[in-house]
Amino acid sequence: MPIPPAIRLALILSALTLSAAAEAQVRSVEVRTPRPFGYFLGDLVQAQVDLVVEPGFRLQSASLPQPGALTYWLDLRDLDATASVYGDAQRVRIALTYQTFYAALDARALEIPGFTVTFVSESDHGATTVKAEVPAWSFNVSPLREVQPPARSDPRDYLRPDGQVGPGDPRPLLLGAAASTALALLAFAGLAHDRTWWPFQARRSRPFAVAARRIRALTRRTEGDAAPREALLALHQALDTSAGRRLLADDLGAFLEGYQAFKPSGPDLARFFEASRRTFFGPEAEAKSGALSGADLASLARRLARVERSA
Amino acid sequence: MMNQVRSGDAMLTDWRGAAGRFEAALGGAVLGQTRAIRLLTIALFARGHVLLEGDVGVGKTTLLRAVARALGGAYERVEGTVDMMPTDLVYHTYLAEDGRPRVEPGPVLRQSEDLSIFFFNEINRARPQVHALLLRLMAERTLTAFNREYRFPNLQVFADRNRVEREETFELPAAARDRFLMEIGLEAPQDAESRRALVFDPRFHDTDALIAGLDAGVLDHAALPGIAAAIQHGVQASPAIEAYVIGLWDALVRPAQAGIRLPGLDMEALVQGGASPRGVAFLVRAARVRAWLEGRDWMVPEDIRAIFPEVMAHRVFLEPIYEMRRAAIVPELCRAVFETVPAP
Repeated sequence: MPIPPAIRLALILSALTLSAAAEAQVRSVEVRTPRPFGYFLGDLVQAQVDLVVEPGFRLQSASLPQPGALTYWLDLRDLDATASVYGDAQRVRIALTYQTFYAALDARALEIPGFTVTFVSESDHGATTVKAEVPAWSFNVSPLREVQPPARSDPRDYLRPDGQVGPGDPRPLLLGAAASTALALLAFAGLAHDRTWWPFQARRSRPFAVAARRIRALTRRTEGDAAPREALLALHQALDTSAGRRLLADDLGAFLEGYQAFKPSGPDLARFFEASRRTFFGPEAEAKSGALSGADLASLARRLARVERSA
Repeated sequence: MMNQVRSGDAMLTDWRGAAGRFEAALGGAVLGQTRAIRLLTIALFARGHVLLEGDVGVGKTTLLRAVARALGGAYERVEGTVDMMPTDLVYHTYLAEDGRPRVEPGPVLRQSEDLSIFFFNEINRARPQVHALLLRLMAERTLTAFNREYRFPNLQVFADRNRVEREETFELPAAARDRFLMEIGLEAPQDAESRRALVFDPRFHDTDALIAGLDAGVLDHAALPGIAAAIQHGVQASPAIEAYVIGLWDALVRPAQAGIRLPGLDMEALVQGGASPRGVAFLVRAARVRAWLEGRDWMVPEDIRAIFPEVMAHRVFLEPIYEMRRAAIVPELCRAVFETVPAP
């Protein structure tokens, strides 16, 4: 946290505390605090120490004071040291946070003790250390209450009343709840769609309706002639899809057992299978005999599609 | 020309009747095995070797003995043992009464070229050396012994294997399995009537009497190769059925590309190989016989489907990780292949 340069307790200590050699190496020590007065019991006191040293020197972090109790009334809560280049020199800025526990009865000045930090410059010939004294500085604390408060009959009167809690605004919570509910419903709908729960049960496909359309298109012009192979194939595909496997002529009985609705069309289906068998697998001569006309095939497909729709 | 075709057709029709009588005769002796009998009949007319597989005591041996009896012709039988050597099949050495050593033809050569059925019991108890001898006998129907070549034009090898025991047995090499037209699994009959009869009817207790009661020579074994060739030429395959068979083949070897998914299996790494061209040729050969038995001179997809598991299942080789579970996986794969490949 940057400290506003309200008060500068700048003490250039060169002549006083440092040896002649150190004088050259520690250029300045400066302590900045926000204000030196107006502190109460428990307040945090922030200070910032700027040390400018010759380049090549770095802070020996072990020489910094340890956070913890310094005296019976003063704690060092926090300490943070950062190094940066400052012109041609090296600057180390130490941010210190103290907390005072001094229960003052009158306004008085208290002194925060100073400390010494060590800088090291290491070279091939050995290490050079130099000490920098951070001076003690003082601030004023004030009492929280008068020395002798007037007597009260009820000891509770000495206590201040509890702070009031406002009624609060429920609208954001309600909005959040509504949004969460909507999101949950949406997710549930997605799950239901994925699992094909109601109302997303996949409508049963209607293979025979597709086949009937296709056969009508294929046989429209050649009603009387034998049904073309493509038309036979279309009905085969519909039967395969509906049975879930490839249906051969010998499987027709089992298929009709499983799909009772198609049972009335059984003889026609048997005729269709026989015709298809002759068309696809029989010799040339066989293909002509017993062939199913395009019109018959189309009407069979239409009938199957109707049964399928009502099933 | 026309006349010749007609007489050929008439001959095929007569033989179809004979095949029906053959099946009926077997069905009287071996109860509840209609499917196995039908498959054996197909194998006979397709001139293929058959491996029967099943539990102990379900009638493998009885069925094969019945077939041999109904077929007529010379019949030899050996029992596979762990110490059997190929030479045990070819010749037999012993000391004669006059104290001099004798070498005589063994089971395979004893009947000479008239041998029509060679029945190898418990084939997986024999060593691979014996299996190797069978390779040539089955594929070429020839054998070299005593400095000459023996030919067995009518030979069919029937073998059986019990699938319960694994100790002291030798798995048939892939090459030997591929030479069998079919591997027929035999189960005990499921219907209560047959089960009751098998257990309580004394007729089924004495196998020798049961077999002896069959009409011998319902089929003329010497004419079988000729009629088998006539069937192969007489039954036609349309382009659609050719495409269908090739589609089945592709789907069996590369199930993943055919879009077959089986739960719990990596379809990309399921089938290692097998399903040889010879196997598919056998498949078509057997399907033609089935079409003929059904009274057609053209094939339909049902013909393929009826014999597919028995002809193809043992030719598919799975990745080793799945091989232990092949008894469950391969039938499932065959079923999926038929559910996936469109026909037509």
